[in-house]
Amino acid sequence: MIQPVGQRFAPDFLTELFRHPLDPGYADAAARRASHGPRPPWRRRGAFALRVLALLVIGFLLAVAYRVAVRAEPESTRAHTGLVEQVKAAQAGSDALRDQDDQLRRQVTLAQQQALGGTAEQLRQILIQQAAVGLAPVTGPGVVVRLTDAAAPIDPNTGKTSGAEVNRVLDVDLQAVVNALWATGAEAIAINGQRLTALSTIRTAGATVLVDFHPVLSPYEVSAIGSAELAGRFGQTTAAAELRDLVSRYGLGFSTRTEDHLALPAASGPTLQYAHPPVTPTSGAPR
Amino acid sequence: MIAVLALIAGVVAGILVEPTVPVALQPYLPIAVVAALDAVFGGLRAKLDGVFDDKQFVISFVSNVLVAAFIVFLGDKLGVGGQLSTGVVVVLGVRIFGNVAAIRRHLFKA
Repeated sequence: MIQPVGQRFAPDFLTELFRHPLDPGYADAAARRASHGPRPPWRRRGAFALRVLALLVIGFLLAVAYRVAVRAEPESTRAHTGLVEQVKAAQAGSDALRDQDDQLRRQVTLAQQQALGGTAEQLRQILIQQAAVGLAPVTGPGVVVRLTDAAAPIDPNTGKTSGAEVNRVLDVDLQAVVNALWATGAEAIAINGQRLTALSTIRTAGATVLVDFHPVLSPYEVSAIGSAELAGRFGQTTAAAELRDLVSRYGLGFSTRTEDHLALPAASGPTLQYAHPPVTPTSGAPR
Repeated sequence: MIAVLALIAGVVAGILVEPTVPVALQPYLPIAVVAALDAVFGGLRAKLDGVFDDKQFVISFVSNVLVAAFIVFLGDKLGVGGQLSTGVVVVLGVRIFGNVAAIRRHLFKA
C-alpha cells in the first residue's frame, strides 16, 4: 500500500485502525534500519535499558491498578456489611438487656415471695394477674395459627423464581388473627415467641413485620392459650374467613392446629406512663 | 526473556511495595492500564513480526499513557465525564484486539 508521507491516518480512521492495529512507527523504524543500517551499539544498549525500565513500570502499574481496583470495588458492599454488623451488635445488646430484665423480674418475684410468705393469697393473686397481663410466662393447651408468605412467583420464561414481589403476610393480617383470638377467648398470645400484652404493637416497617419493635419473619406462628373450643371458634370468625380468602387468591399459607402443651414466655415489661400535675398551678379556671 | 522478567519484576515490586495512590490520581489508573496494555501487545506483535524497535516501544508507551491521562483530565474539566475516556478505551481496545489477533496467528498459525 502506498501512502503519502505525513498522511498516516486515512480519512476513514476507524477502518484504518481495524485494518492496521500496529503502531505505524514500528514499520517506519524497520524501514529506517533497512536503509541506514543498525544503530551504534551504545544507542542499542541504552534503548534496551529503556525498554526494560518501561516494562518494569508497566508491571508496577498493573499491580498497583489491580490493588486499587480490588480495594475500591466493594465500597458499597463494605458499607452494607458495616451496617449489618451494627444492627447485629445492637440486637445482641438488646437481647442482653432483655435477659437482664428477665433476671431482675425473677428477683422481684422472689422478693415478693419472701415478703408475703410462700403460700399467701396475695402472692397467688399477683401471679395470676401477671400471667393475665403477659408479665409472667404461662403454659397450657391452645392453638397455633400458622401464616406464611406466598412462594416466590415462578418466571414462566426461565422456569426460575423471578425477582418479582412476593405476596406477603401483612401486619393487618396478623392484627386480625390476634384480635380474633382475643375475641374468641384466648388467655395469652405470642407471635413467634413474642408475648403480646394489652400495649403490644404489630406494625410494618418496609417489608418486615415488627411486633413490639422486634422484627418477626415468615412463617408467623401465633400461639394462643385457651380452652379446647378455641380452635373451632376461631375458625368461624370473619378473620379466619378472610384469611382463607387470601389463601385462595394470593397463595398465602394459613393453617390452624391444636396443641396440648404450649409454653409462652413473659413479655418484656411495659413502659408505664403516668400523668403528672404541673408543679405550678396554671392561672385561670379550666375551660 | 529479559522483557518478561522485567514485567514480572515490576508486578512483584508493585505487590510488595503496596504504594498508596493519591485519590487525585486514581481516575487515571484504569485508562493508564489500558494504554500500557496497548503498548505491550503492540510491542509483542512487532517482536513477532520482526520489526520491534526499543525506541518506538518506549515512546509509544509513554505517549499513550500521557495522552490517555490528558484526555481523562480534559473530559473531567469539560464536564463530559467519562465520555471522552470511552473514546480512548474504544480506540485502544480495537488496537489491542487487532494486535492480539495477529499474535495469535503468529503463535498458533490460526
